[in-house]
Amino acid sequence: MKRQRRLSPSILVMLGALAFAGVACGGGDAEEPAAPATTAAPTAVAAGPLRVAIVAPSASDDLAFSQSMVDSVNALERDVELSITDGTFIVEDAAAAIRGYAEDGNDVVIAHGTQFGASLMEIAPDFPDVTFVWGTASDTQGLDNVFAYAPAADEGGYVNGSIAASLTDSGVIGVVGPIEAGDAVAYINGFEAGALAGGASEVNITYTGSFGDVALAAEAAEAHLANDVDVLTGTAQMVVGAVGVATDAGVPWFGTQANQTSLAPDLVVASQVYHWEVVLEEMLALRDGGVLGGQAFEINLANGGLVIEFNDGFELPAGVRDAAEAMIEAITNGTVDTSNATPAVAAGPLRVAIVAPSASDDLAFSQSMVDSVNALERDVELSITDGTFIVEDAAAAIRGYAEDGNDVVIAHGTQFGASLMEIAPDFPDVTFVWGTASDTQGLDNVFAYAPAADEGGYVNGSIAASLTDSGVIGVVGPIEAGDAVAYINGFEAGALAGGASEVNITYTGSFGDVALAAEAAEAHLANDVDVLTGTAQMVVGAVGVATDAGVPWFGTQANQTSLAPDLVVASQVYHWEVVLEEMLALRDGGVLGGQAFEINLANGGLVIEFNDGFELPAGVRDAAEAMIEAITNGTVSTGS
Amino acid sequence: MGDFFTLSVLVATAASAIRLATPYLLASLGETIGQRSGVLNLGVDGVMLLSAFFSYWAVLETGNLWLAVLVGLVVGLAMGILYGVITVGLSATQGISGIGIFIFGLGLSDLLFRQQVGTPKPVRRLPNVDVPILSDIPHLGEALFQRNLLTYLAFLLVPATALLLSRTTFGLNIRSVGENPQAADSLGVSVERTRFVAILIGNSMAGLAGAALVLQLGIFQPNLTQGLGFIAVALVYFGAWRPAGVMGGALLYGLVNATVLQWKALGIIPVSGSDLANMAPAILTILALIALARRVHAPSALTKPFTRH
Repeated sequence: MKRQRRLSPSILVMLGALAFAGVACGGGDAEEPAAPATTAAPTAVAAGPLRVAIVAPSASDDLAFSQSMVDSVNALERDVELSITDGTFIVEDAAAAIRGYAEDGNDVVIAHGTQFGASLMEIAPDFPDVTFVWGTASDTQGLDNVFAYAPAADEGGYVNGSIAASLTDSGVIGVVGPIEAGDAVAYINGFEAGALAGGASEVNITYTGSFGDVALAAEAAEAHLANDVDVLTGTAQMVVGAVGVATDAGVPWFGTQANQTSLAPDLVVASQVYHWEVVLEEMLALRDGGVLGGQAFEINLANGGLVIEFNDGFELPAGVRDAAEAMIEAITNGTVDTSNATPAVAAGPLRVAIVAPSASDDLAFSQSMVDSVNALERDVELSITDGTFIVEDAAAAIRGYAEDGNDVVIAHGTQFGASLMEIAPDFPDVTFVWGTASDTQGLDNVFAYAPAADEGGYVNGSIAASLTDSGVIGVVGPIEAGDAVAYINGFEAGALAGGASEVNITYTGSFGDVALAAEAAEAHLANDVDVLTGTAQMVVGAVGVATDAGVPWFGTQANQTSLAPDLVVASQVYHWEVVLEEMLALRDGGVLGGQAFEINLANGGLVIEFNDGFELPAGVRDAAEAMIEAITNGTVSTGS
Repeated sequence: MGDFFTLSVLVATAASAIRLATPYLLASLGETIGQRSGVLNLGVDGVMLLSAFFSYWAVLETGNLWLAVLVGLVVGLAMGILYGVITVGLSATQGISGIGIFIFGLGLSDLLFRQQVGTPKPVRRLPNVDVPILSDIPHLGEALFQRNLLTYLAFLLVPATALLLSRTTFGLNIRSVGENPQAADSLGVSVERTRFVAILIGNSMAGLAGAALVLQLGIFQPNLTQGLGFIAVALVYFGAWRPAGVMGGALLYGLVNATVLQWKALGIIPVSGSDLANMAPAILTILALIALARRVHAPSALTKPFTRH
């Protein structure tokens, strides 16, 4: 039985805001930190109907992306109470809806849109008993209560393309796409490959730049028709406009995502239909067993998640359907490869651009990347835009560098991710390098990078423990995110393991407020702290306080010895060049992105640089070296 | 929470509050004088940034802290001349002009820092000076009377500014051109000159605020103020255009910030609540503004360029 209800986005926004306020207020009273999801016992399965909520970017009956998920949940073979918030083309609205559904006690919340990923990273950890299902995405962002899903849309695209090739007289086939991202690009590339392999002479592809602009899609179809196209396809919810044009012109149409036959019963040849229920059933079975997430799934022709649904109202030439069925079988067996050719690599000196949030010589995060690119063992022409603390400025710089013909654009800041998702698909020949981030957001021309900052933090913490007399160590952090939290958690663990009695952590809430960092350090000193550390560019203020107080300081990101030559004990230095070399080698081989990298002590991307001007007690440095070795070997775990 | 209510922590919190309040207070007092004359300056943050940079550069090059203070003051004065020419001389819209000054200060200080300094280098900080006798008062002396000279100056400027505005002819002129410039003009008060001088004083004090900020920290980096100048403008409204009220606002803002930091250091605010706690000073200010809204009377001619009819 399916019970279905809808909430308007505005109500959900209000609910979400209230929920947020409630959570925030409650946070202040919490005596104990919440247990990490990794250690939580398997959650009991709720009795009664399974409460499932879908948050989708377009109408739930769009005959495309959103409808595919609604139809799939309705096809589940279990008792489901379904709620839907659709039309959430504004990500913030979707985030409020996702949080609202989780607050409302739903068992499963489906965030049906790649663009909801960043919000989900914030929301999912707050609701460890809720299973979040997110797609299209190829990984779970490291969250244990998130399942990810994606379609191998190129497979159905290839089949559709091969059929289309048999229908065209002019040999020219037209494609109307939205933005060059996600399953749209996979479908279109697969379609192109199939059509060309099937004998079409040309496949003209138009990305309109919009998922929702129906008029633009219609005009794109008109433009194709004006250029000898006699078969059309397209993907995303705006193609209803293009189907109308195809209908008027009497041109065959191929659908994807949902069965689009009802749009043009005489002209839709076939549709690749997403049957998410195939992987949803697997996810729910895992949930029943207490596994709430942490796995990624793919629907494809082999597992029945993708199905080519033919329209019996369209009469195919003799043998075409049999050939199509054989093609499906060949793809399922792996006999036919539907993947695409890789772009050629540009010759000459490598043009690299860095967009960084703080000054390129900040002795911290930004400088670490500039130093690393300069350390690359190849001919590099480097451009830098730093101080882009406003994300919109950074986005403009990233796009500008891509337009300017740079080979590699490094978006050096987690906060640039949302912009990159919009920009990267527009420049398929440019490699974008983004961090700190643990995944590539499903983009094939994005490499991601992150530091295992907890490792160096652990080493620094263990040394710090040997220097403290009071047993109390102070930490000044910016915002509780990214490598800052990893470093600080690692430092805390190392210090406590090394014998410190207490590690006091202050997140100032700002990456740039030097005065606040200084005052945070002062506050620590007033509370018996006699060793300090901190991370991010604003810590220069805290180092000044440490200097005046004669308190040892531990650095991270870059070597901070020059700030306090007598008091900086050691710095964990990021050597990004270790993974940049790997990325560039892949690029040389035609792989422009799609992989995530980590620097750590083992691969030499993280290095503990000691300050010889600070005299350590006997044996401490040897012990630190041994600790580095132990972490490298895996004998010591620094995970927090 | 018990850890917070120990004398040593309370003293440290009070000292921190005063340090944090000092740049706000200097900038807000200067802005109070400007606004009482009818001139709003949203460029305070930019003036502070430029002054902070030049003060930092001065001490970096010479090691002389008092030269650095003087440089900050002079840079503020120079920016005041620029702003005065724009808003009084050319009768430009104050809001947009102020934003222009802010962007100019932000960009130029950033550019100069990169070209002249690059990697941040620590410089000497203003030393604390004990006030004879008072600094020996147990606990209170440590919190209030073992501060640097610019802090003492900032708090001494509160009564000085109040006296200037309420007890001097020039102060009366400032208030009159801020309330009714046409009437002041008809009585022979030069509205342009009075406003120009008020702007010079206000910007000079913003310059001092920038110097105080950077010399308390002993280091500079781009956008050092982090919007401090805008909060200083808000504190003028908070203080109802009165020096004592402005001081109350600056101290409250500093105290809330300092308390939040102490609570974080002591673990009273859990790490998970950091983000919410960071909003506390702003929320408190907004609530106070709402509470004060009905009693506040802004200068009638504030933001209005003067034109003789």
